This record gives sequence, structure tokens and C-alpha cells, in this order.
Amino acid sequence: MEKMKVIAEWTYTPAPIERGYTRKTLYVNVGEPRMEIKDVSQDMIDTFTGGRGFDLKLLWDAVKDTTKWNDPENEIVLSGGPLCGITQYPGAGKCYAAFISPLSGQTYDSNSGGYWGPLSKFSGFDAVEVQGKAEKDIILFINGDEGKIQILESNLKDLNAYAVTETLHEYFAVDEADKRNISVISTGKAAETSYYGCMNMSFYDPRRKVARLKQAGRGGGGSIMRDKKIAAMVVKFSKIGGNLNNVVDLDTLQRVGVKLHKEIHDLDDVQCKMRKVGTAHLNEIMDEYHLLPTNNYKFGQNAAEISKIHSAVYERLFTQGMPDGCWYGCSMSCAKAVDGFTVQTGPCKGEKVTVDGPEYETVAALGSNIGVYDPLWTIEANFYADHYGMDTISLGTAIAFVCECYELGLITKKDTNGLELNFGSKDDIMELIHRMADGKDEFASMVAKGIRYMKKAFAEKFKADAKTMEAIGMEGQGVETSEYVPKESIAQWGGYYLTLKGPQHDEAWLIFMDMVNKQLPTFEDKAEALHYFPNFRTWFSLVGLCKLPWNDVEPANNRIVNEPKEAAKVPEHVQNYVDIFNAVTGKGIRKEDLITMSEKVYNFQRVFQVRMKQGEANHNIPLRALGPVFPDEWEARREYYDGKLREIGIDPSALSTEEKIKKLQEYRLGMWEGLKMAVYKRRGWNKKGIPTVETLKRLGIDYPDVVAVVEKYSKPEDNFD
Amino acid sequence: MRLFLPFCILNLAVETSRFVQTDQGGIILRWLKTYVEKCINCGKCMETCSKTYFKEENPSLSRVVVTNPGAGQNISVCNQCGACMAVCPTEALYRDKNGVVQLDKSKCTSCLMCVGFCPTGNMLYAASKQTEPFKCVACGLCAKVCPTQALVLVND
Amino acid sequence: MITVNGEPLDWKPGMTVQDVLDAKRYTFRMIGIWINDRPVPKNEFSTTEVPDGAVVQAIHMVSGG
Repeated sequence: MEKMKVIAEWTYTPAPIERGYTRKTLYVNVGEPRMEIKDVSQDMIDTFTGGRGFDLKLLWDAVKDTTKWNDPENEIVLSGGPLCGITQYPGAGKCYAAFISPLSGQTYDSNSGGYWGPLSKFSGFDAVEVQGKAEKDIILFINGDEGKIQILESNLKDLNAYAVTETLHEYFAVDEADKRNISVISTGKAAETSYYGCMNMSFYDPRRKVARLKQAGRGGGGSIMRDKKIAAMVVKFSKIGGNLNNVVDLDTLQRVGVKLHKEIHDLDDVQCKMRKVGTAHLNEIMDEYHLLPTNNYKFGQNAAEISKIHSAVYERLFTQGMPDGCWYGCSMSCAKAVDGFTVQTGPCKGEKVTVDGPEYETVAALGSNIGVYDPLWTIEANFYADHYGMDTISLGTAIAFVCECYELGLITKKDTNGLELNFGSKDDIMELIHRMADGKDEFASMVAKGIRYMKKAFAEKFKADAKTMEAIGMEGQGVETSEYVPKESIAQWGGYYLTLKGPQHDEAWLIFMDMVNKQLPTFEDKAEALHYFPNFRTWFSLVGLCKLPWNDVEPANNRIVNEPKEAAKVPEHVQNYVDIFNAVTGKGIRKEDLITMSEKVYNFQRVFQVRMKQGEANHNIPLRALGPVFPDEWEARREYYDGKLREIGIDPSALSTEEKIKKLQEYRLGMWEGLKMAVYKRRGWNKKGIPTVETLKRLGIDYPDVVAVVEKYSKPEDNFD
Repeated sequence: MRLFLPFCILNLAVETSRFVQTDQGGIILRWLKTYVEKCINCGKCMETCSKTYFKEENPSLSRVVVTNPGAGQNISVCNQCGACMAVCPTEALYRDKNGVVQLDKSKCTSCLMCVGFCPTGNMLYAASKQTEPFKCVACGLCAKVCPTQALVLVND
Repeated sequence: MITVNGEPLDWKPGMTVQDVLDAKRYTFRMIGIWINDRPVPKNEFSTTEVPDGAVVQAIHMVSGG
């Protein structure tokens, strides 16, 4: 590729890392252009820890109450956290991104593997803030080796992810061996029309000799990148070593890390098989428990078709025996890939490519949930979603909604511009995906903007029935639901829909604990779980860790030495986290402190949502998430659902199926309200879900501007007694 | 776009064979053979090993590990099987022309996955000395000082 | 009669932990079993008999996502 023109260039001296922190953040305005290096205060570390905490703090200071996702002051903030970049413990390369989301109009945080997080910290920055809008397509380049920040005028011919990533690894590396010292954040053409554009973060795979892509998929970060005319963000740092974080206690870090490596070596094959199939080990299990979303979450099971997407099928498709960690030292090795895949459609037709994934979520989203049981098709859809820059989860759930609307006759072939979008209409769905990237087709562009947008647009343009769409559109807070059927677990209604940012699966997955194990019988039990697990999992996002090594493997004696309820928390691994955090930072935290550290950021982010939504940061739940909406859903599990009515003292024998559905909906809506209040109360919020001033004080986040938001929108009548 | 994949990599994925083809076409594997029944637990091998590589006489830094835990004498040392090479993310572990598995420190990120995945527990580490792991490189110095030929360097 | 996660299940003489899991169609790989609050190691599921009247907890660990 020809040399790119330098639009702006700044030099800096990379700050040394001490105990996991550089204590510097980088601010770049790609519009003006301007660069600034900011200091990180001790208070910022104490309150926000790092990672997503730093992201949100910087974002809070950068935006106005009225900032929309496509205003220039919206930012993409990227940060790993103090543990990010250690090589000794599995899953320590995560990068967390935060921004005001085009889907929800409030903050979203999304995380990715790949090398961006570690390499940007090694280049001297605890966080990178990108603001402003460029006039032409640009590439932001952080050169940690030379202490140089550049804004380059892009001369990339193809803005889609695999092309961008491969070209830039080539462009910025001096030779083949140098390619692994580079990480590229890319998106794709679809992100220019979509509200769920994803960010792909790369790492170079020296065995396959290709750049691999991991995704901060959710929430629309890629859409913001393209709105800012950022074609890519690149970081380079070459001198990777074993203790770049300058940790306090390398000995402990090594011992704890080796213990987990051994555990994974000994047990993964009999536990989750992450090294062989990644999260796709869940496919048939979710189907067995009626949790695999099928035809827009109508059903949780498809006994006739499941064998086609069984994890054993994917195990054969994934190349086996490769070190598939997305950062050094991740022996969980779940970043599976399909090698030598021949693309069947679209602009890459006929090419042999390496496809990252699919993971479980994608198998369901671009598979069972849209009625497709063809792994090769799903792999191709996964490839194009990444390449075009779309979140596979929102894409799949959005298409599932479209298919149901189409089958219900709410939209017609004329509306879809000639596509027949029944569940399972593989060829036409693939064509729809290509049209999203092309950007010219109006219908495809509507689908690309997500379910909340479609509900309004379909009603206005196609006169589709709003009430039906409200019931079946699986979004919460504007964000598409991820791929588990939540209907039969009350706690999971909260795990999905009482979240900070919408129904993703990185706060709490309580379905087994609640629905199968029956460990959470009361609202208070559920509320406690909806306090503990979201906060526990938030902690990973503060320090730069991946959640998977926490509970996708467990010590052999976990279920022998622990009580059932404690075992689910995997106490030995929690202690590992305490030990490695202290080993890196030199602090002396205890396991209880993990929750408090998280609560500070969790509640700060909740206030942030209240601020951006002008007090109306509401938690909505679609009826489809609460139970059956149409008779065929009821009839598929008639005995089960009739039993559910009997449990609440309603005799189903004299009722029509429609009447039964209505009765169960009424009951469950009441349960939803009950759950919501119990959860708000446990979290120290008022009845409108706003953290109280007392909560802010308890957590030490009673900064004047934070308190001001709470006071502005809280009314005395909303207080719990 | 150059997304094409060389198919040969699939074969490179797992290299666990103990036998390597040399440039000359012969098959060589140099490794340290142990005869535990001859071992008198004198500790000379561990002294020599730790002194050679870490400049101090400290059995916990020796790549050959001799123990005598009640049940009987045991000698544990790398057999150059190469399982560690397969899990190394940066290909820092490689087999040299003598068939010995070596660590290229310039490529190593000190992740220690090789330690956790070594089938015989002979990939070692010591934070006080270096971040990278270490292992027996079949230098044979321990065999030279062994008074009973319990350790023998062989070229199979 | 025994209870499994609070729900009744018919008991048969010689019934093992594995039989209980099969009857409930609990196919998940990460299940911990407690019989009357006593844990049963995974490698003993096929050989451990469940006594009549037992309170069985079949705890599915969380994973994925």
C-alpha cells in the first residue's frame, strides 16, 4: 500500500508502568485535530479502578446531558485496567470500550479480546479517549515504540474489517515477526448505516499467519467509529515482556497462574471443553433445557434439528490443537476458528478465509433464532457480520424479529424489497445482510438500526401492528436481547432487563440457579443474586480480565468442599482474583472488596444513564421474554404451561389457549414489578431505579455533579419506606 | 485481500513427535536418560545444574529433580517430548537440530502455559531469577558429574 | 419417592445418581450432586445409590457467555 499522508503528528514519552498503571490517559480529538495527555489522579484510581471505570469517568466529563450518539462530543473510550496485559493468568488481555450508544441513547460498555488493551497500556496509556469528527476517513495510530501519535489520511480501498486489519498489520509491521506487535480496531461498511456496528480488535496469529478478530460487538461502537470517519485505530508496541506491568509480587502471580493452567489442562476436557469448541459447547445443552432461542425466542428447543448444530459438528469444523488464546497466557484458548473456509456469496465469494468463531451466541443468533440449522451458513454469516462490522447478536435478534413480522404478515415482500424473509430463508437472509453493507436498500437499512427503530418505522411506513411488535420485539432499553430464552426464570428477567445497559449476558446468568436448581425461591433471594453477580462480574471489567476463566472451569473439588450456593461462585477462583490483584497492585484487598469496588462504578453508571435519559432510564421487558405470546408457543409445551397456571391456582381446563396466555401474562407482569422493586431496593435505588444519595455516600461517589443528577430526578414519593 | 490459508499449518499445529528429521536426513534425539535404580541421591546433578545456569547451588533451581519421598528414589527431567511447543502462543519453544526442545527467550512472553501443560511437570519457573520458564536442554553436565551413571546423555 | 431440586420423583430400588439425572434429562456436564446435604463426587454418580426419601440437589453450575 502507498504511504499514507500524515494529517497530524505528536510525540510523547511513554510513561512507565508501575503496579499496573501508567497514570496517564490519552485524549485525541480527530476533528480539530488535537492531542492531550491527562494525568490519572489517585482518587480516580480509588474510585473507578480502571478499565470500564476509567472509561465512564472520562466519558462523563466529556459529554453533555443532551449529547446524542452522533454528536462530535460523544467519545469512544478504551481501557484495559490494572491487570490488563499480565501474561501469567488466563484471560488478562481484555479491553473495555464505553460510549453513548446509538441503540439506547445512554452509555454502553462493551469488551473485546485481542491485543489492543495490553499494547495501548504498554504504549503508556491507562485509557484512550477519542472525540470529534474527522472530515475524511482517517486512521489513528499510536506508536508506543517511538512515542508517536499520528492521524493518517486513510487510503484503504476496502473499509471492511478483514481487509482493513490485514492491510494495516502489513503496513505497520517491518516484517512477519513484527505483525504480532500490532493491534487494529476496525469495523465495516454496514456500521455506516447500522446502529449496532461492532468494533473488531485484532491479534496476529503466527501459526495461521492471519490477523484474527475479536469483537467489542455490542452497543454500536463501530457505528460511532464510522460516524467519526475513523477507518481504524492502530497501536504498536514491540518489546513484549513477562513483567511490563511492573507488578509487586511476580512470584504469587506466577504460582496462581500456573495453578489455573494446570487446572485447565487437567479438567477442561471433562468440564466445558472450551479448548476444543469454545462457548459452542452450550448448543445442545441449551436446547435440552428449552433455553436455545428458536424462531425469535418463540421456542427454546428444536428436537428435530438440534443434531445439525450440535457442538460435535462445530468441534470438527474448528481447527483443533492450536493455541487459541486471544492474549498471551490464556490457556482457556476459546478463540476458535474455522480455517480454509470457502466463502459462498457476496464480495468475497470463492475466497478461502479464516473465520473467527462462531461462538455460542452467534450459533444461536445467526442460527436457531432465525430458523437456520446449517453451520456452514452460520459461519459465513458470522464472517460477513464481522467483516461488515455488525454485532452478530443484535443482527441475529433483529433478523429474528423481521422474520416473525414477515410470517405474521406485518410486513410483506413488497416492503422488504423482494426478499422472502421467513424463518430459515437462508439465501434471502444472506442477501439482506449484504444489502445492509451496501447501504442503499432502505429496508435493509431499517433492519440495521435495530428492533426499537424497526418497531416505529414498520408501524409508520408499513402500518404494521404496533402492539404485536411491542410484544415480540426482543429489546430492552433499545438493545437486542442476547441468546438465551429467559421466559421461565424470573431471576433472569432481571439478569437481562434490570441491567445497566440492556439485555446482554455479561451481568448475570441466573437461569440454572433459579429455574433448574431452585436456589432462589423468594424475591429477596433473586434480588440478592441480582446484586452479587452483576457486581462481581463488573469487577472483571474494571481490571481488564475475561469472565470465562472464572467459572467455565472449576477446581476438581469445588462441589465437594463448598455448599451448593457457594459453589456457584467458585470460591477458589474468587480467591485467585484477590491474590493476583494484590500481586499486581500491592493493595491488600479482601474478597468482599471486589463487590464494593464494582458497586462504585455500577452505581455511577446507573446515575450516568439517568443523566443521559433525563430521569427516564426505564427498564422495559417485552412480553415474549415473560412467556408465550401466541398459542403455538403454549401448545409446544402445553403440559408444562398448564402446570404453571395450576401452580398459581388457575384451572386451565376450561380456558382457551388465548385466555391461558393472557392469565399467565397478567400474573407474570405482576411478578416482574415485584422483582423490579426488590432489586431496586437491594441495590440501594429508589422506586424509579435511581440510586439514592445515601447509596452514593456509602460508596464514596457523592461527587457534586453526580449528586446533582440524583437530586434533580428523584422525588420523595419514589423513596422506599 | 490475502486471507488465504496455507494448508500446511494444520500439520504444524501439534508437533509432539520425539523424533526430528535433521537436515542430513538422519533422525536424532538427544535427551537425558535416567536409571533411577542406580541413583544414590547424592545431589551432585542438581548442584551442577543450578550452578551452571543460575550461578548458585540451589536444588530448587535445578532442571533435573531428584527426590526421595519415603516411597523411593525418583528422578524427574524433561524427556524432550515437545508437548510444550504445541501450547506456546509465540512459538518461542522450538526443537533444535539435535532434537532438543529449546526456549527462545526473545520470543517468550513468560505466560507459563507450557508449565501448566507439561505432561511430566518438568517445565520450571522461579520469579526471583527470571520471568521466563526454564527446562533441561540436555547439556549433559549433570550426567558427567553423576558418580553412578544414573543419568546418561543419549543420542537416539 | 425422592425430591430433586424440590420436585418429587418416583423412587425405584437400586436407583443411582446417574439414573436420577437421566430421569430429569439433566445433560449438563457441570452438575454437582448433594444427597441429603452430602456431596457426591462426579466419578461416583453411576455407583452411588439414592435412598428412598432422599433430598437430592442437582446443582447446575453457571457457565458460558
